Amino acid sequence: MRITEKGRHPIHMRMINLEKRIGDFQLKIDDLTIEEGIIHGFVGANGSGKTTAAKLIMDIIRPDAGRIDYGGLKLTDITMTSQRPYLLHDTVYANLVYPLKIRGRKIQEEQIRELLAMFHLEDKAKQYARSLSSGEQQKLSMLRAMIFEPKLLIIDETLSNLDPGSVDQFEKMILDIQKRKPVTWVMISHRLSHQYRLCDRLHFFSQGRVVASGTGKEILFESSKPEIRRFMAKEMIKKEIP
Amino acid sequence: MNMIEKLVSSLFSDVGVYDAIRVTLCMSVCSTLLSSVIGIAFGLMLERFSFPGKRIVVRINRTLMGVPPVVVGLVVYMLIMRRGPLGFLGILFTVRGMILAQTLIITPIICGMTYSYAVKAAPAVRVFAKTMGASRLQTSILLIREMKYELYFAMISGFGRSISEVGAVMLVGGNIKGNTRTMTTAIALLKSQGIFHEGLTLGLLLLGMAFVIQCLADFFRREVREDENY
Repeated sequence: MRITEKGRHPIHMRMINLEKRIGDFQLKIDDLTIEEGIIHGFVGANGSGKTTAAKLIMDIIRPDAGRIDYGGLKLTDITMTSQRPYLLHDTVYANLVYPLKIRGRKIQEEQIRELLAMFHLEDKAKQYARSLSSGEQQKLSMLRAMIFEPKLLIIDETLSNLDPGSVDQFEKMILDIQKRKPVTWVMISHRLSHQYRLCDRLHFFSQGRVVASGTGKEILFESSKPEIRRFMAKEMIKKEIP
Repeated sequence: MNMIEKLVSSLFSDVGVYDAIRVTLCMSVCSTLLSSVIGIAFGLMLERFSFPGKRIVVRINRTLMGVPPVVVGLVVYMLIMRRGPLGFLGILFTVRGMILAQTLIITPIICGMTYSYAVKAAPAVRVFAKTMGASRLQTSILLIREMKYELYFAMISGFGRSISEVGAVMLVGGNIKGNTRTMTTAIALLKSQGIFHEGLTLGLLLLGMAFVIQCLADFFRREVREDENY
């Protein structure tokens, strides 16, 4: 297994000279490394290429040039949840166990009940999943993504519709998972505070480029990159003017 | 003679209404099942694969969705008549011949509806399946499962078309009493004999059956919720 230049975490996957054009937008990533067992955050303004990069990792779209070195990671070990998750035309329970079913894994009813109870969905197990509120749908999609214990989880704005209590609960759950059996996360979120608290490493996207990678402190507070400073200034103004 | 047969015979003149109902249902059910297998498979394949001339194929199918049944009847008649290329099958003036004609009429309808639904639903289902790590086969099964209400609706629409069709079955079946006479061809016969009230009664019976089918279709349509998130 390869070791990063800092010698801390083994490399999980690497995007090399990756290019993808969608209409007028072009994503160009020279070298982006996703290290194993830590929480990565993709930060940047709308349309900066965060979701496109995530879709490339998930092989939902194919690059025009360059390659992704998965380093032994299989696509079936990666999962992604989005802001508007796709829920099956079925019950909450059926949605939750779907990844286990397709893997032929045994469904442990006790574990399912515990997971649902953690987010107050235990009474809704038999409910039609699409009749849940948007926040509940996001919780369900997160649980569904985690239930089969993937090696890489991409969370694309999935926590955006959740109430603060649920976000805290998810944060606790993620940190708890990281303590017990670390997995690799890619969190895409506009909530900088949330990214700062959770992520071990942030990658700042601007106009289809990754302009900086580093710890939350390095990126959000110490960087002198004009793109980051402008973004931070806008975020500050947003907070001041409701 | 069973009770229902006696009741039906007492209501109508000697045009073989009971047999007509039996033939109508047999023909409609068989042709719908055959068309569903072919139409759904082609509709899904049309959505899945890109090939040169695909748009033309889609347009041709859409045109065939509205083809006058009597034209199909004529073509099938020419194919299966004794001197026709399929004359050796010996299915002219039989229920099997009528099923063939009906299948040709309904298949483009089911195929077209399946294709339209799949174009809307498949991209989201495929992305979801990929994020879940599903195989190709699992993705295909999931797509059919996710479209089941739409597919039922397409099948019921095909059945509705089949049960109410008259032109093609008249040409291919020959309206033979007790053999290939259907409810619609019986109505046409009653009209030509001037027995309007019986024709109307039979028409109302057919309308009742069509109503039940529409109720089923509505039930499935209601099941397809509007609040879909992709």
